[in-house]
This record gives sequence, structure tokens and C-alpha cells, in this order.
Amino acid sequence: MTLSRAKAVFIWGTAISAVIFLVLSYDTLVQMPKRTGEEKMDAHVVAGKWVWQKYNCNDCHTILGIGGYYAPDVTKVMSYRDTEWVTRFLKDPEKVWPNARKMPNLHLQDQEVADVVAFLTWVNGIDTNNWPPKPLLATAVTSGSPGEAVYKAQGCSACHMLDGVGGTVGPDLTKVGSKRDKAWIEAQLRDPKTHNPKSIMPGVSKLAPKDIDDLAGYLAGLR
Amino acid sequence: MKYESQKIAINYFMIAAVLFGLQIVFGLITGAKYVWDFDPLISIIPFNTARAIHINLLVVWLLFGFMGGTYYIIPEEAQAEIYSKKLANFQLVLFALIGVSAIVGYLLGWTWGMPFLEQPTVLKFGIVTVALIFLYNIFMTMMKTKKWTVIQGVLLGGLVMLAGMFLFGVFFMKNLSDQYFWWWWVIHLWVEGAWELITGAIMAFMLMKLTGVDRQLVEKWLYIEVGFVLFTGIVGTGHHYYWIGTPNYWLWWGGIFSALEPLPILFMVVDTLRVVRERKTEIANRVALYWAVGCAVMHFFGAGVWGFAHTLPQINQWTHGTQITASHGHFAFFGAYAMLNLTMFYFAMPQLKGLPNFKQSLGIQSFWFMCSFMGLMALSLAVAGIVQVYFQRVLGMDFLTTQGYMKLWYAVFWVAAWGFTAGVVLFLIDFFRLAKSKA
Repeated sequence: MTLSRAKAVFIWGTAISAVIFLVLSYDTLVQMPKRTGEEKMDAHVVAGKWVWQKYNCNDCHTILGIGGYYAPDVTKVMSYRDTEWVTRFLKDPEKVWPNARKMPNLHLQDQEVADVVAFLTWVNGIDTNNWPPKPLLATAVTSGSPGEAVYKAQGCSACHMLDGVGGTVGPDLTKVGSKRDKAWIEAQLRDPKTHNPKSIMPGVSKLAPKDIDDLAGYLAGLR
Repeated sequence: MKYESQKIAINYFMIAAVLFGLQIVFGLITGAKYVWDFDPLISIIPFNTARAIHINLLVVWLLFGFMGGTYYIIPEEAQAEIYSKKLANFQLVLFALIGVSAIVGYLLGWTWGMPFLEQPTVLKFGIVTVALIFLYNIFMTMMKTKKWTVIQGVLLGGLVMLAGMFLFGVFFMKNLSDQYFWWWWVIHLWVEGAWELITGAIMAFMLMKLTGVDRQLVEKWLYIEVGFVLFTGIVGTGHHYYWIGTPNYWLWWGGIFSALEPLPILFMVVDTLRVVRERKTEIANRVALYWAVGCAVMHFFGAGVWGFAHTLPQINQWTHGTQITASHGHFAFFGAYAMLNLTMFYFAMPQLKGLPNFKQSLGIQSFWFMCSFMGLMALSLAVAGIVQVYFQRVLGMDFLTTQGYMKLWYAVFWVAAWGFTAGVVLFLIDFFRLAKSKA
């Protein structure tokens, strides 16, 4: 191959690829507002995006799968946590999740918390071509009663052990139903200080009554 | 060394070497946070700050190296002194000041919050100013003689592309998907575009000088390599557009083009080994030769093989956002760019200092330490990533529970990182001894 042929490879290779890329990029930018749900992107969402950047959340957490790999991906977090839980968590992460790897308390203002929740709720609606994929064995692992689903969603296993899985901050719950009845458990869930004034367990009284009922029923059934 | 102004490169290389050392310190801090849940530094240097500093130092020391390398190469290619030495030194000081402000700023919580582009906007404009001064100085030097060699042209093209692409990362966008769409124009089109052009040109120059093979042959291959790099790499940006809110045709375009991206890197390996075999002079500088051949090989494995392993969308949907990416990131940045700079340091410094017969044993030891321990680091993070993909993505286990099962591999990674650090320390001792000695 001569030098001028090689030069032609360089020029044409670059030009063809650049043209394809620019055409596709143009089409992408045309489609993006619809695919990302831009009509729902209000001032709170934009303010929340800045909160997300201001505290450099992205160098611990991934979002859209990009960023630091130290903390959970938050792209679809609002699909499995409700606003109340996320708000409670952001105000004092350690209180809600006292075990294992920690998120520092950023001392966010109430407005900042509300904005970042609005942002994450909006991100949850982005069409990501079904990413992250549903786990192949998810049905086998997560099938169970509604109460079990609440147990998982609220992150109770961060402190409590169940069948050998979970934390050691709180008591083991594997056979909790043989010691406590449903009414006792429900009272404990609503206000942990009723039974032990020194309890450090965060109450879940803000949950929907049905969720508390399901959770208490599930735990009372563990014998 | 033929031109007095090539000595500008010395200070650039020295700053790059210091920042390389600092990068490793912050890497060890970042890594320790994976190994132990208890983090005594959480209120001073939390993970996000440590990571921001670790990756920013990487980019900055590599850029200092590229700039120093350019100041070394251009006078010989253009056959003229650098247009303005004062401007080159001013640029160095300005860039160093911006770097220091950025890092101190991160420690105080002053950040823009996009990975790699954490620099607050005012500092970004400073970086643009540095790039403009640099390009002006280089361009004016080339204009003195107008000898448009292919090496010069590709190097200038890469540097212009590097500076130009940065602009797509400067502005705040309301839509996160848009922000990330343009963010990849910086990050991807740097590392799989502009930086590859710079690497190709610098490596071509060094191989030509080291081996004495004909310019004609080297430049022909340079054209073919960078032609394929850009052909596969530009549309290959699409492998970042699978899951961020962009249309699904990127799964095809990104998948096919990025699967071809290892090809030009393979060309570079073949080309490097051939010119070394067909050398016309005895290669006295063995350390530079080790780093050059090692760079070609590690570039191929780190960027090419490790990248290919998870670039197809069928695989990437499971691996995206896991430690697989971190494994690839470490291996590729080291193999492609850190090693290019280390080759450049060892190629240029003995000539700049007039010490062609410098002592080489320590440099070769540091080469083996860094390469073998980086290999181990990449492998252990890859295993951690496979555990993560299987438990978290396939079985649906919770993120933090999965992290517990990955700890052993984080520990192996961290211990290997200390081995790598030993290599860096050997390099720093050797390099500064060389930099301080007199002919």
C-alpha cells in the first residue's frame, strides 16, 4: 500500500463514520424529549438535578449505569422505594440503614430533599431500553406475601437477620412469631419506643396502614 | 535532542510524574473503602471526593505528559524552535494552578458533580484557555517551517480534537439523558478518538527514532491505524448509548462498530513488533523499548480485549454499571495512556539530560512491577465484577449484600494495588534521579 492510499483510508474512514454518527445523533436528539418524558421535567426536577450534581452523588452512585460503583444504582430507585422512604433516608441515611457501608449525612435542606426526589422520580420514567434487566431468577427469589415485599423494600434486613441473611444490629427475626403476636409487632412497628424506650429502631408509622398490617402479619407468621 | 526549546518538556514531565504518584495515593484511599466498611475518613475525604481526585489526577497527569511530549517532538518534526518558550512556561503554571484549585476545591466540597468533569465551570474555562495557548504555540511553531509531516498532522489533529470535544462537557443541561449524551462526546471521543491519535503519533515518532526504520513506512501505518481508530471509534460511541434514554438502534450501530475497535489496536501491536524486528540501529535505550512494546501489548489487552468482552449489548445489559467497567477502566487507561507517557519519559529524558548511557536496571524493574500488578488488579476487579453480575443482576440479590460477597476480590485488588505502588515508587526514584543528574 502506498502512502497516498493509506491517507485515503484515513480520510474516508473518518468521514464515513463521522457522517453516520452525526445523522444518528441528530435523530437521537429529535427523539429524546419523548423518550425521556421531558414534558414532566418541571422546575423541581431541574433543581433536583443540580442538587444531585452539587453534592457529587454521582461519584458514589451510578445513574443510568454511569458513575462510581460504590453505592447502588439509582436509575429506577423510585420503582422500589416510595417517596416517604427516600426522604427519610436522605435526611439521615445512617438511621434508616445503620449497618454496613455508609452514606454520609449531607445535611440536606428540606427543599433539596424534595427536589432530588422529584428528579429521581423523573429519571425513573426515562425509557432505558429495559435496563437494568429483570433478574433471571427474580421470581424465585422475591415471590412471597405482600408483607415479605414490604420487609424487603423497607430494608429491614440491614439490621435484622432472617434465616441467616441480614444484619446483627437488631434481634434475629427468624422465629419472631413464636414469641410475639401480631398486635405486639404492629405496635413495635408503629413506635419502637413503646416496648423499649431506648430502642434505636426507626419506626415505620408513615407507611400505609395496609403495608404495616401486611408486614406485621408476615412477621407474626414466622415461627 | 537537537533544539534548545525541547527542554520545555522536562518540567511538564516532572509535574506529570508527581501527579502520577499522587493519583496512586488517592487510588489506595479509594480502594480501602471497598475493603473495610468502617471508614475513618468519611467526613474528610468521603468516597466520592477520593474518586473524583483519583480520576482527575489521572487525566491531568496524562495531559501534562501529552503536552510535554508534544513540546519535545514538534521542534524535531518542524525543524524549528518552539514559537514561544515563555508562553509554554506560562501555560504550565496556569494549568498547574487550575489543577491545584480543583483538588483543594473537591476537598472543600466545591464540585460540578459530573464524573471526570467535576471541575467547577470557572475552572473549565481556565482549562479551555490553557488548551488554546498550547494549540496556538504548537501551531505557530509548525507555521515557521510548514513541514507538514504526517506525525505532526496527526498529533495536531488529535490535540485540536481533544480541546474541541471538551466544550461539549462544559454546559449544564436540564435533561440528564441529554447531559450524558454530550458527556460521552467528551469522554468517549477523547479516549477512543483524540487520545488515540495523539498516542499513535507520539508512538510512531518514538519507534521511528528508536529503531531507525524509514519515515515513509511509519507514517503509512500511522494513517491506517488512526483511520481505523476513527472509523470504528466514532460510531463506536454508540456502545454508550444503549441504556441512557437514547433510541434502541444504537444497540446495532454501537455493537457492530465497537466490536471492531480492537482491530486498529491489533495493527499497532503487529506494527510495533515488526519495526522492532526490522530495526536499523541497535536500541541502546532498553527501558524505553520495554515500555513501548509493553504499551502496545497492554493497550491491546486492556482497551481491546477487556473492552470487547463487554461491549456487545447482549452482554453489556448485564455488566453495565458494575465492577467489570472498573476493571476495564484501570487496565485500559494504564495500558494505553499511562504506559505511553512512561515510554515518552524514558525515551526523552536521557536525551534531554544528555545521558544516553543512563543506568537502566531500576526502570526495567519498575516496568515489571507495574505491568504484572496491574494485570492482577484488572483480573481481581473482573472477578469481583463477575460475582456482582451473577448475584445482583442474574439472581436479583440486593446491591449491598452482593458487595459483601465481593470483598475477598476487593482485598486481592487492594493488595495488588500496593504491588503496583511499589512499581510507581521505583519509577519515581529512578525518574527523579535521572531528572536531577547532569551530563
